Amino acid sequence: VSWRPTALNVSCLTLAGWALFLGVLTARADLILVAVPLIVALVAGRRTAPPATVQLARQVSADRLFEEQRVTATSTLRADADVSLVEVFEPLPPRVEVEAGRAHAFFRLRAGQEVRWELTLRCGGRQRLRLGGPHLRLWGPLGLAAAETRRRQPQAVAVYPRLVPLRHLPRPVRTQPYVGNHVSPAQGEGIEPGDIRPFAPGDHVRHVNWRATLRLNTLHVTQHHRERNADVVLLLDTLSEMGAPGATVVDAAVRGAATLAAAYLGRKDRVGLIEYGGQLRWVRPGSGRAQLQRLLDTLVEASVVFTYVTRDLELIPRRILPPQALVLALSPLLDPRFVRAAVDLAARGFDLVVIAVSPVEMVRAAMPASPVVDVAARLWTLERRAQLDEHRRRGLTIVDWDGVAPLDAALAAAHRPRLRLALAR
Amino acid sequence: MTRAAAVLLVAAVVAFPLAAFPAAPVTWLAGAALVVGVLGASALSVPLVTAGASIALVAHALALVLTRAPADPSVGAALGAALVLLLALVHFAARTHGAALGPGVVAGQARQWLVVALAGFASAVALSVVATWLGPVLFGPSLPIVIVTGVLGAVLTAAGLIALLTSRQSE
Repeated sequence: VSWRPTALNVSCLTLAGWALFLGVLTARADLILVAVPLIVALVAGRRTAPPATVQLARQVSADRLFEEQRVTATSTLRADADVSLVEVFEPLPPRVEVEAGRAHAFFRLRAGQEVRWELTLRCGGRQRLRLGGPHLRLWGPLGLAAAETRRRQPQAVAVYPRLVPLRHLPRPVRTQPYVGNHVSPAQGEGIEPGDIRPFAPGDHVRHVNWRATLRLNTLHVTQHHRERNADVVLLLDTLSEMGAPGATVVDAAVRGAATLAAAYLGRKDRVGLIEYGGQLRWVRPGSGRAQLQRLLDTLVEASVVFTYVTRDLELIPRRILPPQALVLALSPLLDPRFVRAAVDLAARGFDLVVIAVSPVEMVRAAMPASPVVDVAARLWTLERRAQLDEHRRRGLTIVDWDGVAPLDAALAAAHRPRLRLALAR
Repeated sequence: MTRAAAVLLVAAVVAFPLAAFPAAPVTWLAGAALVVGVLGASALSVPLVTAGASIALVAHALALVLTRAPADPSVGAALGAALVLLLALVHFAARTHGAALGPGVVAGQARQWLVVALAGFASAVALSVVATWLGPVLFGPSLPIVIVTGVLGAVLTAAGLIALLTSRQSE
């Protein structure tokens, strides 16, 4: 790091030269004297000794947070000698706003003195936030010389999509053998009453249905449904994207996927993820908090990668996409490749629910308001409704979600056929 | 706050030629300098302020030529010191615009500027005293030095202007 003259030297030189020139031209000594303070300032502003060493230590309050949450970056500056003016500047990535403090600050440091610089950031969108470290600039007297450096202390903060509590979740048709919260069609130990049948040796006395026994004059017992867990696979469409940055259909779909994952994992189900787009990425179904962490880490990275290639879901291993799984596809249904894949899954007997994320409101929000935009949005909505009806006729179960209203409202309004034909395990 | 202080300093610089000889051409030039300077101070633009100060210098030179008053070293030194303060203030305000200022930053900077401006003023006055004392003695031999100084000033002006026009905004 070394001193560099700044543009202010040019201004001082210009005025000093101008005063000297006019003084000689007009033969006035007092004009020449005008140049003297400027020349003195230029001499005083010259720096020959190396600039003082400024140490910077930085701490970030969290390395993982959800959208709209705050993170505080605290920097501590310390110099080995007096510094009359030190400038610090933290370049901020997009969709990050300064909530408290300033990203650009000036301080005066005495030798050995510590100065704290605190910056509270609000993270508006999912991303892997990388704080690369602040730029430091030391200023000489009058701002005539500056020494600049950058303290590279990269720190990553994962900003996960925000989670919203869900009450209405699509019920899986098929369940797994492990204990969970779903009432299985199969009979066995449980608390949900099922059919009534005649008593057989080995039945527990506590299962005797006394009302039916008295009416039929023979012992009858009440059977129960088992409570089992299920495999849920979230199929995220990243083939197409619409809307303003940070508020695209993919962002809405990612939020929906994260919310669904948290809700199903909370019910002891195993949840997996397949990102169906330019790159095919997946997370094997699993349960627990570690699985939620894995899913969120994958969802943070979800983005559209352009490709002409059509990915075949048949290539996905069975352990990633189990045939018994409930598949929840989140898609704007804009790309015919994804529609074909969804129809194919439904035709192969997968329990599939498509959550169609409408791009209409997002595109509308990204455009300047005008009557033409309103009419276009209404027409698009009608066309989209017709398309969804066509998909329903082809056997897809579709939940229409505008991406703005709570997903729970869309799921509550969705109608799903009764699951009487489910296979019992 | 810093803008208001810069505008006040521009007004002070412009007041020098008007105080020397408020003739019509001087007033017009001073008015132009005031407009350009105030624009520069409002926009926190050092080049604009430099341009305004340059016009004020021309107005001051014109006023001195028209008035034919005897040279007053303190006025020239004061004008130079005011120019130093003006440039330093506008440059500082432009750098710190929108930034947070730690405790003691403004006071420390103001102290620095005043020290440099006072040193410049004192140097100019001392130089004029020495020149007054040595002038009659070195009149003959010092003439080439005066000419060389004038040429140097012209070259510096041209070089400064070229650099000002071609340099990028580095800060």
